[in-house]
Amino acid sequence: MFNTSPGVDPTMFARITRLIVSNASIDEILRAILEESVRACGAVRGFLAIVDHDRGELDVRYTAGEGWSEEKRLGRLKVSEESGRGITSHVAATSKSYNSADVDQDPYYIRSFDDVRSELAVPLVDTNQRTRGVLNLESTQRAWFTDEHERLAAALADLGVTAMVLADHRAREAALVQIGKELNAFTDAGAILQKVLDVAAEALKFEDCSLFMIDKASGRLVLRASRGPLKKQIGHASYEVGVGLTGWTAQRKHAIRVTDPSADPRWRGLYEELPSADVGAFMAVPIIGRSGVIGVLRVQRKKSPYKWFPNDFTEDDERILTTIAGQLAVALDNVRLVDQLVKTERLAAWGEMSARSAHMIGNRVFAIKGDVNEMEHLLESGTVESTEARKLVESIKNGIFLLEEILNEFREFVMATQLDLVEADINQLVREAIEEGFPKRSATVLNLNLAPNLPKIKGDPKKLKRCFTELMENAVHFQPEGGEINVSTFLADARCKKWLKPGRQSGKYVAVRFEDKGPGIEIENKPKIFNPFFTSRAKGMGLGLSIVKGVVDAHDGAIYESGTPGKGAKFTVLLPAAGGRQRASSKPKE
Amino acid sequence: MCSILVIDDEEAVRNAVKRRLERDGYEVDVAATQAEGLQAIEEHKPPYDVVVTDMVMESPTSGLEVLQAALTRDIFTELIVLTAYGNVANAVECMKRGAFDYVEKNIPGVDVFELLSIKVSQALERRKSSLSTLRRIEQYALRR
Repeated sequence: MFNTSPGVDPTMFARITRLIVSNASIDEILRAILEESVRACGAVRGFLAIVDHDRGELDVRYTAGEGWSEEKRLGRLKVSEESGRGITSHVAATSKSYNSADVDQDPYYIRSFDDVRSELAVPLVDTNQRTRGVLNLESTQRAWFTDEHERLAAALADLGVTAMVLADHRAREAALVQIGKELNAFTDAGAILQKVLDVAAEALKFEDCSLFMIDKASGRLVLRASRGPLKKQIGHASYEVGVGLTGWTAQRKHAIRVTDPSADPRWRGLYEELPSADVGAFMAVPIIGRSGVIGVLRVQRKKSPYKWFPNDFTEDDERILTTIAGQLAVALDNVRLVDQLVKTERLAAWGEMSARSAHMIGNRVFAIKGDVNEMEHLLESGTVESTEARKLVESIKNGIFLLEEILNEFREFVMATQLDLVEADINQLVREAIEEGFPKRSATVLNLNLAPNLPKIKGDPKKLKRCFTELMENAVHFQPEGGEINVSTFLADARCKKWLKPGRQSGKYVAVRFEDKGPGIEIENKPKIFNPFFTSRAKGMGLGLSIVKGVVDAHDGAIYESGTPGKGAKFTVLLPAAGGRQRASSKPKE
Repeated sequence: MCSILVIDDEEAVRNAVKRRLERDGYEVDVAATQAEGLQAIEEHKPPYDVVVTDMVMESPTSGLEVLQAALTRDIFTELIVLTAYGNVANAVECMKRGAFDYVEKNIPGVDVFELLSIKVSQALERRKSSLSTLRRIEQYALRR
């Protein structure tokens, strides 16, 4: 073979760019680039080493040409890195191409294949001026690689690095979207924190990641989530604001990026993911919520065993960590608001409930005392007529019954969330509820439309039946002249499922609907109907619908009203299917 | 015979109070709402001697409105306010504006029906003496 100017196949670059824009995997693209380089430069073989920034190592990931074995691939750089020599390591360290015309005379060269006489190595350098890899080509002839070859290889290496940067951006975008989604689905702060770290570690390769949140009581930054060995100290490890790099970040509300953290004057090394001597790079960003700094998100990277190896964090890394911290702050603010809202609502409900129950119980007891007073009077007068006495006893009994009814409602309200879960057939429950609750001689027409083959649900049959009875009683109550009630069951579609909490919408849900032709619910009352004591029915304390909502919520379901005012009410209960999977059943149940 | 009006939105309460006061020999009417009560006060002839009303009905100050109506009809009508145990602020306000007294519905260990019976007879005493004072003043004025 003659060492002439390479006959560049004009379609070569087109083929590679097509691969890049067509969303091919980064492996596929880099392998193609290596193979095209070997062919275009007339090399006998070649390899592409990729820098693993997290481990601080070069990794021969792709090989092409003759004579490669798995052993040769893995052993290729080990020798060179340990000895501090090797053309590939040299190129990675300097970010400059290296053309060795005669490897036997080359101080950097370490022999791995007997037939090699000359070698060309070009770096893959990204926009942050960081070496991402080295493209290495070998020839069996001395001085084989020309300047033209070098330019060609450099152009191909540039394409490779473009593909890598693009892949990074795609991965980061996907990770941010995923974090956004995860954050929306959680209403529990603890779960949010760990989830964010998991995504950051898996998608962004921030393996040694920790989250410190400012503790309201002590004012200190306390470790709340971690991926590394610090995990054991969650809830214990803490920094004073201002102390250490972590404390500095919180105090100054400023991101920090340090290459050799233990040499930094602010460094304390109190709680580290890695032993102090091993920490090669450190990055921390403040988490800024509505009320100022609420925590610090930080990442550490192991020091590379090789001095030449740059494994600091880049501006891109800082940007992405800052974005994550921003999303996290919003999510945590939301959780806090929801918590406060729920707490205030519940407190208000409890306050109102005790006032109301005191009033109602007070009146009942007052009336009972009146009966007892009358009874005493009769006894004292010595002329007790048994019919009169019986009437008083009946009245006392009735008073006590009313008291027990109030207590019962109270108990149902409190116990709504304590479920006894079993697998149940929703149609069966609806039928039983109608059997027990629908008035036998009613002017109201009842239409049943129960879908066959619905998946089983996991639920508390007693409590659910009680809910269905309550919804039916309401429907009957508001149509005193007769009217019509439609009760139906069906598999919930996307339109129904938008009433579920964001994180729950993907599962399979069974729906039960109660429709009536009564006056319906006024638009302005719709948000209030599930509140305790919001009632237009004088029965008990007006906890009915709020109990139903409590039970349905405890089932991880949802209840909503979507009727038209003036035309009737339409209540729909959604309950999650057991196991989330529909059972195939060939025989219809209806 | 003395006439008494009992206003309370709880049927059981109305009936128990009516029964107890009838035992003392009064003529007792009942009203189930504030509105019904106001109407009865306006229309009953002669005016009621005593009105017994629940403090909290349609509004937390229903008792005050009943008081105003009763005094407008007859300045010497006596008013007794029934109130929830431990919730006397509004009832005291009624007394400042001329009500005779208040009775808490649920005082532990106390037979409030006997208490109410005593209060009603005391209220009637005051009404009687007010009316006789008025009569004497009228006679004195006529003589001159």
